[in-house]
Amino acid sequence: MKIVVAIKQVPERDAQVHIDASGRWIEESDLQYAMNESDAYALEEALQLKEKHSGEVVVVSVGPERVGSTIREALAKGADRGIHIECDDLNKRDVLGVARLLAAALKPESPDLILTGLQSDDLGYGQTGVIVGELLGLPHASLILHVEKTEAGLTVKRELEEGWFQTIELPTPAVLTIQSGGNKLRYATLMGIKRAKTKEVRLVTAVELNVESTPVVSLENITLPQKQKSTQMLPGTAKEAAAALVEKLKFEVRVI
Amino acid sequence: MIFFSSTLAEPQYFSTIEKVLFVALILTSFVLFWQRFGPILNKILKSKKDVDFHLFPAGRRVWDFFWEVLCQAKVIRERPLPGIAHAFVFWGFCAFAIVTLNHVAVGLGSGFLNPASLIGRFYFYFAAAFAVACAAGIIGLFVRRFLVRPRWLGKDLSYGSGMVALLILVLMVTYLAAFFVADADPVTRVLWWVHTLALLIFLPLIPHTKHLHLVLSPATVFLSRGGFSQIPPLAGDEDFGLVAGTDLTQLVSLQAYSCVECGRCTEHCPANNTGKILNPKEIILGVRNYLNDLGPASQEPLLGKYNSQQAVFQCTTCGACEFQCPVGIEHLPILIGLRRGAVNTGAWEDNHGAKLFLALERGSNALGMSAMERDKFIQKQQFPIFDGTQEYCLWLGCMGGYDPKGREIIADFARVMNYLGTSYGVMRKEKCTGDPVRRLGNDLLFQQLAEANLELLAQNKVKKIVSICPHCVRTIQEDWKEFGTPPEIEHHSEFLARYADKLPKQKAAGTEPAEKIVYHDPCYLGRYRNVYEEPRAVASLAGDVIEAPRSHERSFCCGAGGGLVFLGEETGERVSHVRAQELAATGATTVGTACPFCNTMFRDALASSGEAAPRLMDIAQLTARGLPQDGSKLNGSMTA
Ligand code: SF4
Ligand code: SF4
Repeated sequence: MKIVVAIKQVPERDAQVHIDASGRWIEESDLQYAMNESDAYALEEALQLKEKHSGEVVVVSVGPERVGSTIREALAKGADRGIHIECDDLNKRDVLGVARLLAAALKPESPDLILTGLQSDDLGYGQTGVIVGELLGLPHASLILHVEKTEAGLTVKRELEEGWFQTIELPTPAVLTIQSGGNKLRYATLMGIKRAKTKEVRLVTAVELNVESTPVVSLENITLPQKQKSTQMLPGTAKEAAAALVEKLKFEVRVI
Repeated sequence: MIFFSSTLAEPQYFSTIEKVLFVALILTSFVLFWQRFGPILNKILKSKKDVDFHLFPAGRRVWDFFWEVLCQAKVIRERPLPGIAHAFVFWGFCAFAIVTLNHVAVGLGSGFLNPASLIGRFYFYFAAAFAVACAAGIIGLFVRRFLVRPRWLGKDLSYGSGMVALLILVLMVTYLAAFFVADADPVTRVLWWVHTLALLIFLPLIPHTKHLHLVLSPATVFLSRGGFSQIPPLAGDEDFGLVAGTDLTQLVSLQAYSCVECGRCTEHCPANNTGKILNPKEIILGVRNYLNDLGPASQEPLLGKYNSQQAVFQCTTCGACEFQCPVGIEHLPILIGLRRGAVNTGAWEDNHGAKLFLALERGSNALGMSAMERDKFIQKQQFPIFDGTQEYCLWLGCMGGYDPKGREIIADFARVMNYLGTSYGVMRKEKCTGDPVRRLGNDLLFQQLAEANLELLAQNKVKKIVSICPHCVRTIQEDWKEFGTPPEIEHHSEFLARYADKLPKQKAAGTEPAEKIVYHDPCYLGRYRNVYEEPRAVASLAGDVIEAPRSHERSFCCGAGGGLVFLGEETGERVSHVRAQELAATGATTVGTACPFCNTMFRDALASSGEAAPRLMDIAQLTARGLPQDGSKLNGSMTA
């Protein structure tokens, strides 16, 4: 089974994010980066499928040079080789533009399965995987927690709202976007890192892939979330205050 | 006085047959000795070289050899009675070396010490005194091993030891008896031959029993790495720790063969004492059995048949075993080496462990919290940010930065520094020192964390660090050295003790009985850093310090170390509960701690013990309690 996993490098969860001078992007110089969380789960799912059914896991990522470290991390965890689509103007491409790059790089690989995270922790469009599926003309499903290979293709478990799940079958090749939390992630090991040094990472550019970058959507500005904290004092006796509190929790905050 | 008038009797002649027989017996004895000892030596020498081994400076080695081997200081200090008995046997042996050489020479017709000469008479009496002591010693040790039978010597009686004890006794008795007979007496000849046979049986028994330590342990003590829990750097791209026989280094193999099976390590092991399967003595013997069966060229995993992975991951790295071992075995590099082998290759699968590793791969702290939380805490406490102008960098650590109780400790320590007028600042981007991953054997993460922190400290031009956590102190000072030069660092107990005379004394004058504080020595401050008196001096500002039954070097672990605090439920009894009960049973009103991990362990343990548990306070909190309520400073000025 040949599986391609599309991964994204995003600012580390702990990163202290500042908006840059243009007001349209964040200050990148001082940031630490990590693998997007749901992509890490997609990679884990791919590695487990490979362990069960053998085959190859290829990781692909779009971005500037720094993305190489995240590709290496994936190789260290067990992926067999990597494709780095070099692109310094990632913030000028919209989600369709990125999906085009991925689709163009993936097509010649003709994998049995394409996995990617449900959405990115930074921009959170949640569309990249689905659009890649459309561009390649492949069946796709999102919010996947678990993948099983069957004779006919795949059986996958989807997460719906409020603890509901849906099990669906689909033929391969297919594209799945993976939800976080379905598996236990493996930790990176020293041996993995050392072995990854000898694995192949192929560099391709947007020009080589013949995909231009005129965006359909453009980003006007970004803002930091505004802190909203307001304290309300509930007057009256303890009994009255408690009654008022219940009222608010039920109808205003809707938590009980 | 028959004894002092008599001399040592020796047979005056030997027939040719006797001489031939004697030489044949000596040769057989040596061959039997070598048949067993040769392969052992070969296995040690064929093991991998220790890349970090340096013979020089040898001063420490010579001192250890003198103190621990010749003076038997460690053997005596840690177990006085059997220790003295052992020392007498040892000194008896040393005194006997010349006697034995002369004994053999006599058999070959060329004795060099004339029993009638002044020197001969003196020396043989001298040796006789040791022979008496040695005989008494060996009887004592025999009684202990076969009649008293302490648990840590193991369930099975060692008949080899019994045999050796008997032989030593025979050697001493036949020697002493020769003072009471005349040279020409046929009994003299019998005594001489019995003595000879005992000697020649004893020699091949040495490498076949734990008495191999007679030959090896002086070398083991002399060659040991030194330091405490000194973890060797990995050598090259294919070294992942102790994975297979090919990873065993010469020092590890030498140590494995030196174990005398005394069980001191196990006697003091908190894991073993609370029903875990870990038994440090068996870990060492497991390595020895591996070497015996498979040798140092084997690719067979070290964890499996010979040692269990589960046991290795039950170690709190408290260091009691390494501290106690009388023959210089360094358990921690071996235990952590085995963990490295399992973690660096991904063989260790543990949900809690993986969660900890992922938290540190993706974030900055072992608690898996967002760095924002730390920022908020810094803001709330109005801690100054380190900018290169302050004297100290106040290291928060994961506990001080994120744990509620750790935060209280840091905040109180900061108040004391404010009171004293010490300038300090904290660093926003500080990361976990890597202590838990270092002890769990994750070299990849440890290196990343150490390097990131070292870079940050260098950028900020930090010269001095002070920390409330003994684990941070140890890791920064010792373990980071592999990747750079860490700044000077001290533990807050050392800092506070220096200012003890400037800090308020809180002993209630007169009426109230003074607070009774039982101080718990954290492993990483005591055994690891040799700091025992400073925290006591600080605690005694707040009340009367009393001692727990196990204290100082023998302190019993709280159960948190070695990354175990992050690994979820223990099997068997909880280490923290055993220790907390011991501390509470002293009748103290307060348990004084000097480590945020001990504190968190005891917090839970004391809470679950229910009624009238003593209060739990870090020495920084005890100190801060005595500061003036109005916020005034030492020099009289008011804080902002
Ligand atoms: S370090 Fe402590 S817990 Fe680990 S084996 Fe030694 S005595 Fe036991
Ligand atoms: S390792 Fe050391 S302390 Fe433990 S049994 Fe062997 S000799 Fe004794």
